[in-house]
Amino acid sequence: MRQISALMILAVLVTSCGKESKYPDAKSAYIVETIETPSGLNAETGGIAFLPDGRLVACFLRGEVMIYDPEAKLWKLFAEGLHEPLGVLPISESEILVMQKPELTRLKDTDGDGQADLYETVTDDFGMAGNYHEWTYGPVKDHDGNLFISFNTASEWGIIMDEVRGRLDTILVPFKPKQKFSAVPYRGWVAKVTPSGEFIPYAYGFRSPSGLLITPDNQLFVVDNQGDWVGTSTLFSVQQNKFYGHPASMIWVPGWKRGDPSKLPLEQLNAERQRAVVQFPYGIMAASPTQPVLDNTDGAFGPFAGQILEEIKGVWQGACIPFIDKQGLHKGNNRLAFSPDGSLYVGQVQHGFIGDTGIQRIVFTGKVPVDIYSMNITDEGFDLHFTQAMDEATLRDTSNYHFRHYYYEYHLKYGSDQFDVQKVGVKDIAVRDGGKTVSLKLENLKPGYIYELTMGELKSEDGEVLTNRLVCYTVNVLRSGRKDTPPLAY
Amino acid sequence: MRTTLVLFFVWFLGHSQLSLAQADEEIEREIEIKAIAGLKYDLTRIKVKPGERIKLTLTNADEMDHNLVITKPGARLQVVDASNKLRENGPRLNYVKASDKVLWSVRIVTPGQSAYVIFQAPTKEDVYPYVCTFPGHGLVMYGAMYVTTKDLPPLEKDLNVPRATATDVGMEHHHAVADLHPYKTTPPYLYRIFMPDAGPAAIAVSLPKQLSYCWDAGTCRLRYAWQGEFLDPKKYFDKKAEKYAQIMGTIFYRDKTSYPLKFSVDKNPVVDFKGYKLIERYPEFHYTIDGKDVYELIKPKEDGSGLIRSFKVPEATQPLYFDFDNSDGATYTTSKGNINGDQIKLTAEDAHAFVIVMTKKQTAK
Repeated sequence: MRQISALMILAVLVTSCGKESKYPDAKSAYIVETIETPSGLNAETGGIAFLPDGRLVACFLRGEVMIYDPEAKLWKLFAEGLHEPLGVLPISESEILVMQKPELTRLKDTDGDGQADLYETVTDDFGMAGNYHEWTYGPVKDHDGNLFISFNTASEWGIIMDEVRGRLDTILVPFKPKQKFSAVPYRGWVAKVTPSGEFIPYAYGFRSPSGLLITPDNQLFVVDNQGDWVGTSTLFSVQQNKFYGHPASMIWVPGWKRGDPSKLPLEQLNAERQRAVVQFPYGIMAASPTQPVLDNTDGAFGPFAGQILEEIKGVWQGACIPFIDKQGLHKGNNRLAFSPDGSLYVGQVQHGFIGDTGIQRIVFTGKVPVDIYSMNITDEGFDLHFTQAMDEATLRDTSNYHFRHYYYEYHLKYGSDQFDVQKVGVKDIAVRDGGKTVSLKLENLKPGYIYELTMGELKSEDGEVLTNRLVCYTVNVLRSGRKDTPPLAY
Repeated sequence: MRTTLVLFFVWFLGHSQLSLAQADEEIEREIEIKAIAGLKYDLTRIKVKPGERIKLTLTNADEMDHNLVITKPGARLQVVDASNKLRENGPRLNYVKASDKVLWSVRIVTPGQSAYVIFQAPTKEDVYPYVCTFPGHGLVMYGAMYVTTKDLPPLEKDLNVPRATATDVGMEHHHAVADLHPYKTTPPYLYRIFMPDAGPAAIAVSLPKQLSYCWDAGTCRLRYAWQGEFLDPKKYFDKKAEKYAQIMGTIFYRDKTSYPLKFSVDKNPVVDFKGYKLIERYPEFHYTIDGKDVYELIKPKEDGSGLIRSFKVPEATQPLYFDFDNSDGATYTTSKGNINGDQIKLTAEDAHAFVIVMTKKQTAK
């Protein structure tokens, strides 16, 4: 729930670009516009999404659900009184799912007056200790109509109320040493709610799973946030009944008889957990990543639709790159949604942490940015693909590539230092595709490491300097199938 | 880059030797500043005399790491900016980029811990900012050290302290619900919010006639009712939403039964919350007891002396009991069934739709 300093877009669809520009004279590829919110609204944005008719629906932390007509620039109240809603999923103009702290709720306008009058509980089959940190996220819907929601762990700095909802298990209390805990069922889990309403605890081991995504091929991805047991923030590919590293939630595994999970031997926990697809180096890429979104705009949002993540020998991995940093974009970017016109709406939150309030949108001007399009692992290094043909001379200049590798560690202690930080030399450079791709061979390539590349002033053929010059690739596996990572590499 | 790093280490060593060498005996004043929730120091300004020897302790009462860096007058933002550029070197350097703008600093202090720095205040009277340079904190988490023998300006007009502090000062009195939403709140309306003396899935409902009640969606029951103003939710809305909303009236009724509604005299039902429907903006709660649907709508009595609770249990096929407690603060009448002591017994037919009126007991004074 803290800020993200860089906006992450995980683009998986391959599309072509080429739409007429509304900004023919734009100097930059993207502009950031601020959406005016109604006076009196504390615009801490918990969720945003678009209705089938193209209007925006947003929920705010003081409990309002509001609908915004981007044409008329008018806001209308749809529902109120909700408990810290942090996710919204429209079914139709008159039916909207909202994830609020105590439950997943179906809001229905049954009398057609434009406001919800029916607040139906879809599921509340999870516990609440009454701890402020027990946020709930989602829902996202898979192709079979199942909904996925996720439950934050509770904070050792917060309370357990005298009365809780759900079975209380205080094996982790008092929490010494300090760590996030799960005193009631399914804190630290992702759950699946079937179309018939059945609640299925799905996967566990999360600390603060604040963003969920279903990919076009029906896979679930979940973001987790750096802290105890989470060396740096991550993106996971999530499968049923698997464990994702934070032990607190393990006590709700059916038939659990192994006592306080945080006291299990570290090697054992380490062996049982799933590795991240992408790690976001803390303080370098972002502090608290939030929601992944897919660029499914067919080029209306620019050239980034395409593959950044890749599956090597059945293992997902890939790179993260800053997309928009500053340029008028506020802090605390919590929720994202693509508008039917291809612009990306971003809702902000602060909630006692660093951040901002409000809603902005990022609009592609039609001017193709000079940027990294993707980074792919090769046998001995990486291929970098650019959005435009680059100047060959700068591409061939070794001094333009500063590679380092390091890894974060899996352990109880909050966050992680970087281990085995080493510069990695580039031993060979090949320019391909008329300057749109450069193949870099490295002096070493090892699984379990993040390879961080900071580039010099690479230029396009037209002499424009590369916009984002930082990219971090999480190497889980080599193309050869080698995956002998350092033992506790996060 | 290399030069700066070396310089920094020299500076840091020199600094700690100074603290060790000139030990506590010469300290003229001890000051403790706490880092508190919401990216704040508890003291947003301190006053010291020119040349005074100070022991400044930073105690971290928050849940994130914080440090405290005292800068030259007017140099806070430059120091913050320089610290932000340390990137992965930040943790090792306590997020302090050494420069002539940095005067003294207390290292990063983890939650619950303290650390201090001993220094001699400048002889030049001025305002010396102090700031947390942990990434992202420096824009809001700061204060001002006044080196002066004179009086300080009024806090609310002091531009050297964070603005939130200046406004907080004038906001100490209570506000009822006002200007918290983009619309005017007119009863009936509700909040799902953390409420005292209820489970975490509480619902607070404001009714006309200066009446309000707390209904618990976890246990599916009315918990208590009060008279007077509704709520001050600000304590809950502020910051991380960890405090209870504050009741702005006097509670006159509390449910004291183990559970009021049951099909069996001696066994509480299994309950499940299903949501609510707004009928003329009044919530009609929907829940099940032992699998049977219950609908409950609560309205104020016309004269404001109590609550009218309309129940519907359309699928009831056996008698239904409604328990209360003589000491719960209310007197009871029912549209159907019979009152026996602290219990109303309804036939299955009665249970399909019945109304219980709860009137506030007159308190004997």
